[in-house]
Amino acid sequence: MNGRLVLGSRREVGTVGLVAGMCGFYASALMTAANLVTVDAESAGSHNAVGVVLSAVATVFIAVALYVAAVVIANGVDTVVAGRLRQIAVLRLLGADARSLRGAVVRVATSVALLGAVVGVLAGALVGDVVRSVLVARGNLHEGDYAWLPPLSVAAGLAITLVAAVAAWVGSRVVLGATPAQALLGASVPLPQTRRVGRLRRLATSGLIGVGGLLLLAAAGLGESGGPAGFLVAALGAMVSGTGILVGARLVVPALVALVSRFLGSDPASVVAARNAIREPGRTTRSTMGLVIGVTLLTTFAAGFAALRSAAHSWDLTPHQAVQTDQMLHYTSVVMICVVVVSSAIAAVGFVSTMSLAVIQRTREIGLLRALGFTAGQVRLMITKESTALSATAVTFGMALGLAYGALGAQSLVGFQTDGFVWGVPGEVLVGIAVCGVLLVLAASWVPSSRAVAVAPVEALRAPG
Amino acid sequence: MCRTIVEPSVGDMEPLPESVVSFQSVSKVYGHGGGAVRALDDLTVVVPRGGFTAVMGPSGSGKSTFMNLAAGLDDVTSGEVLVAGRPLHLMDDRARTVLRRTHVGFVFQSFNLVPTLDVRENVLLPFELAGRRLTAEERGWLDHLLEVLGLVDRVSHRPGELSGGQQQRVAIARALAPRPAVVLADEPTGNLDTRSSREVLGLLRTAAREYGQTIVMVSHDPVAASYADRVLVLADGRLVGDCGALSAQQIAELLIGFETGVA
Repeated sequence: MNGRLVLGSRREVGTVGLVAGMCGFYASALMTAANLVTVDAESAGSHNAVGVVLSAVATVFIAVALYVAAVVIANGVDTVVAGRLRQIAVLRLLGADARSLRGAVVRVATSVALLGAVVGVLAGALVGDVVRSVLVARGNLHEGDYAWLPPLSVAAGLAITLVAAVAAWVGSRVVLGATPAQALLGASVPLPQTRRVGRLRRLATSGLIGVGGLLLLAAAGLGESGGPAGFLVAALGAMVSGTGILVGARLVVPALVALVSRFLGSDPASVVAARNAIREPGRTTRSTMGLVIGVTLLTTFAAGFAALRSAAHSWDLTPHQAVQTDQMLHYTSVVMICVVVVSSAIAAVGFVSTMSLAVIQRTREIGLLRALGFTAGQVRLMITKESTALSATAVTFGMALGLAYGALGAQSLVGFQTDGFVWGVPGEVLVGIAVCGVLLVLAASWVPSSRAVAVAPVEALRAPG
Repeated sequence: MCRTIVEPSVGDMEPLPESVVSFQSVSKVYGHGGGAVRALDDLTVVVPRGGFTAVMGPSGSGKSTFMNLAAGLDDVTSGEVLVAGRPLHLMDDRARTVLRRTHVGFVFQSFNLVPTLDVRENVLLPFELAGRRLTAEERGWLDHLLEVLGLVDRVSHRPGELSGGQQQRVAIARALAPRPAVVLADEPTGNLDTRSSREVLGLLRTAAREYGQTIVMVSHDPVAASYADRVLVLADGRLVGDCGALSAQQIAELLIGFETGVA
């Protein structure tokens, strides 16, 4: 079975390759950096654990990026397939069975992801090698037995491909919804009803968030007494509650988007935009949660370091120590932000791609709106407002989570050294995220809305449903 | 009863003061050079206020193009198109959009309703787009329409929850609600079963007779056209027949006559 029949054009599967490539590059670059630090320390004769810790930390960040990539890929495949139900129904009519069609989708997505991952890993290793050669030549690093391509990078590449396969499997569930009979209907194929949210999911969500919340509170308390236990408990609490939020996202995100949409206005363009934003709750949730993860990570680190810096002011330090501590914290926070920003970038790519595909699939509907009297400007406004509702929800939600996690983390670390609760607001980073959010909205709506209004209403109405 | 047109006589076709849709020597050419297709060829037609006009013709006769031009959905190559007295051929896209939302109602063959809006919201969309509140009189008219069309207990349903016939009735309610200068119906029964078709056509005829609503319907179905009180026949982009009300039988014979060149 030729998967192209189901997945369509290169642009439609391009997102999968791009996201896999970004992930591969990121993983490879981080692993090369970890290898660099380890070997450098060994060559210098010292034997410290920095390299091992760095590899472990890098693995955690890569896992987060992989998760975001999986969400993006599942969403991309779901969106593409949902737009091709008519064609899938025709294939079914001609004798294709649903499972082999789904298998074909997974194969295409996996092979594209493999290609992207290989290119990404090699590019990351290459950049890492160039940087290392320069540093060795300048004497910043010791001569040593550095790996050109660390084995962990190769493992990461394989992990990306595997994750893409699973994500494509999850995202292609809609294939099963197309029946041969639908090919014979003149009207467009209605989307299968999304599954009802089970009680198990509700239970898991409240349990995980409850336990995670308690752990975080306990960590804040432990922070007052000092010792490493507080921060470990905080990290565990953040992971548990974060998992709870991801599991339960489907329960609250569409409602949050609907709430934010209320601020869009009550004119027809805004009303239709608000409805479109939550039209397919599963897709809305994934599109939003990818961004939420990215924004939360960024805000958590930024807020954590902001809290530490503000706490440091109250410590008993000499002026020289105070300046040094502040600078050290500042640089570390910049490095951390650079490391975690990649997950946000992957989510952003997914957001733009989902938005474009969703608008292309609504060509006929937009033709109808134009025929009924929507001006080109109103269509543009409608698309921009839809992406605004999604992006604003993600950014607000992510910032709120990140501020809480960051403050609790800092409190659990240095609460004993500081009076009262440790917290901080990283103004610059928040402004930066907000600006990026606006840019994202423009990027996600400009191209599809230009394309949408460029199609004459007559042609749009004739577009295949 | 019926007049076959060989050469359009301009004297007969002076735009009447109450003409709602008026085509004056309209041509529409798609493509360029050797591949150019002349969809409408110097067509002159006047649809006066009130009445139910059916536009017929075989595939490729230009009836869809006629509809798209009357709706301001497409540009003419040459000639003049007046709708509600406004020169569509001189307007830009925005002005035509505004004219469409105030003076033209639509019923299409399929995909008539905005899937994310419920029945009431779909029917109210023209008012929302015009940015105006309903007067008490309009509210009464709307309630009457929903009542007559049997949609009262469906107002909060989404289009996906309705049958094809019900969806088409919602589209008719939406088209009639703002009392536009003209309702354009493009194969409105093309996707419906016989019973729903009869129902929809009966409703269109009632709208024309009892509410004085001007309706122009494009169709290739003689049964559908038999509900109209005027039948126009297009062939190769020209008007070849202009008849009064006819039975389905007579229309079928007329069309066969034109196709075989006997008429």
